[in-house]
Amino acid sequence: MNLRMKLLVVPCAALSFAGGVALATSPEAKPEPLPRHVLPASKDGNLVLGLCDGETSMEVPGVKDGQRLTRAQAITATAQLMDDWRKKNPDANWDDVPGPVLAQATPPAAKKSPPPAPQPNPGAKSSGNDVRQGGVGAQTGASAVPQQQKANLQTGHTYGAYSERDEQVWADSVQAAVKEGHRVFHDAEALGGTVGVSCDMCHPDGANTHPETYPKYQVQLGRVALLRDMINWCIENPVRGKPLADGDPKMRAMEAYIYAQRKGVKLEYGKH
Amino acid sequence: MRLPSGVVTVLAVVLNSGVGLAASPPSRQAPSAPPPLPPGVSATLWRLSVPKGLEPTPERVALGEKLFREKRLSVDNTVACMTCHEPELGFTDGKPLSEGVKQQKVTRNSPTVLNALFNATQFWDGRAGTLEDQAKLPILNPREMGMPDADTVMKKVRGIPEYVTDFQAVFGREPTFDDLAVAIAAFERMQFSGDARFDRFIMGDSKALTASEKNGWALFNGKARCNSCHAGNAVSPLFSDQKFHNIGVAAHKQDFVTLARKGVQVVRTGDEKQIDELALNSEFSELGRFLVTQQENDVGSFKTPTLRNVGITGPYMHDGSLATLWDVMDHYNKGGVANPYLDGGMQRLGLTEPEIDDLVAFLFTLTDTKFDKLNKEQLTKQRARKNTRPERDTAIAMGKKGNLGDLAPNPDLSVKNPADLGIYGDVTPVTATKQR
Repeated sequence: MNLRMKLLVVPCAALSFAGGVALATSPEAKPEPLPRHVLPASKDGNLVLGLCDGETSMEVPGVKDGQRLTRAQAITATAQLMDDWRKKNPDANWDDVPGPVLAQATPPAAKKSPPPAPQPNPGAKSSGNDVRQGGVGAQTGASAVPQQQKANLQTGHTYGAYSERDEQVWADSVQAAVKEGHRVFHDAEALGGTVGVSCDMCHPDGANTHPETYPKYQVQLGRVALLRDMINWCIENPVRGKPLADGDPKMRAMEAYIYAQRKGVKLEYGKH
Repeated sequence: MRLPSGVVTVLAVVLNSGVGLAASPPSRQAPSAPPPLPPGVSATLWRLSVPKGLEPTPERVALGEKLFREKRLSVDNTVACMTCHEPELGFTDGKPLSEGVKQQKVTRNSPTVLNALFNATQFWDGRAGTLEDQAKLPILNPREMGMPDADTVMKKVRGIPEYVTDFQAVFGREPTFDDLAVAIAAFERMQFSGDARFDRFIMGDSKALTASEKNGWALFNGKARCNSCHAGNAVSPLFSDQKFHNIGVAAHKQDFVTLARKGVQVVRTGDEKQIDELALNSEFSELGRFLVTQQENDVGSFKTPTLRNVGITGPYMHDGSLATLWDVMDHYNKGGVANPYLDGGMQRLGLTEPEIDDLVAFLFTLTDTKFDKLNKEQLTKQRARKNTRPERDTAIAMGKKGNLGDLAPNPDLSVKNPADLGIYGDVTPVTATKQR
């Protein structure tokens, strides 16, 4: 950096700093706090579970507030909560699914997989053997390489060209995210839950999450919500945990899992 | 609606048959499991890169290592594979351009064998599809190991009694050139390398990197645009897209454009024989991938190398023309060297000196911990050269001169810091031990 540049940089820096201050001090629109589902207190100090609709709740007899349910207890309790809700809302658009216990007992249907990737044929005589005298690099049979079946030829421009291997890496990367989401979705601890309830108890295999309907007006929240807002609402209410940040890897993984469960379903934002 | 099949089946398939999404129904023959892979080495890449039936067995690996160190595979018994791929030096030779028999210089820098098993293609121009094909070519290359042909090589090997015994024990037959390549490739397939300080960081130990190194990681995924070709994640932790790009290194040479024009003209006439003659001409090796694909947009492009162990595998670029990682940063900072075939992703970056320091600091965290000592030495050596930087052109890099496209805006890391985002994936690769 020579002197002339310094002379130029200093005023610029000062100016941009001033601008930054101006920006930082301008009043920002603060999002209003979200509504909360306040649960009625139990007379006997029992644990009270809330449902995601922001209204329905129930006492779990024999379990004190602050205790954690076992998985079996939590499944029973959440099933009862869901039943109450179904009775209240007989006309709700709801896919009937077997409960989590049943869903997990039946092995998933086998998926048809695409044909295997072509494997190199090690015994094949490579065409790179005929070396001629001369320089280096491409002189060792390069002209024959395109004919090698397994030469990974990149045709067309750099960014639009991708190989089968690329696709497999992408697919595995996505699958890893989905798998992590599956883990979090089924694990009350990972969700930061305090009562032993996990997502899959009301949404076995992610059923009735309807990610394809977001963004939509979410009555409980009184505003337009994205899928992640609703995930957080459920984490706060039935699960009784702290909402996750947008960029939280767990949140991202759960979105990946929930969307993966709806592959092929028509997008219908705003639908109820 | 029941897709967890997607998750569960795939997992089951991955775990049981070692084959993933593109799985055929599990074969009756259980494939041999990968060796225990350290953090930073991907089970997916292992599956995609190690062909069935060519999984490394201890016997093949031992024979392969012996052959890798065998100088008698060269015409005058002076050069072995390890001459240019010295295991102690991270499987490179530390020279800008490697030297073969009779002190002949070749025109390319020796790339590391570490993690080469995961490459989609071998050589800087990707002219070999597999490690087996790759292993044969240097032996026969007149400037490298100088053997005239495969028969001569095998005559020599069969004349060495211990190899006759070894090949009989490992392959159950006379030594053949193909088997020799299989053994060397088996040894190379054990040269995977992860376990860098960076891997500890990405698996959640935020103290594993210093503030400057973390900032380097954020720049890597942001302002410096490294991740457009060198993206890394848990499934593909190579930090390479395995594609071929012209980044303007070859254009350092004055006559590159003339050369390219000549080459392209020859290809347009479609004269195969003449192309081969071009390929013989060593100056044309600067045309890189073009001589393999004969496609004009591949002129002067070379494979994106892995960044694993980059600190210890200098000098850099296909021709070893850049001595330190600071030089490399300077090269990219000014958007490479303009030429008609420059990759569209190249643009000036406007990186300041402290940002360049952070980036280099980050790159040195990608070295396997077993090379810690060498890594420290290299860092000291490179830092000492910080004031001799031939590629530095701050005026262009900062957009004060020339017109190389738009400068990217400076990201505000307090708003969004890629280093926090789990870009790399918050899922760690499934190691073989976890699979059991």
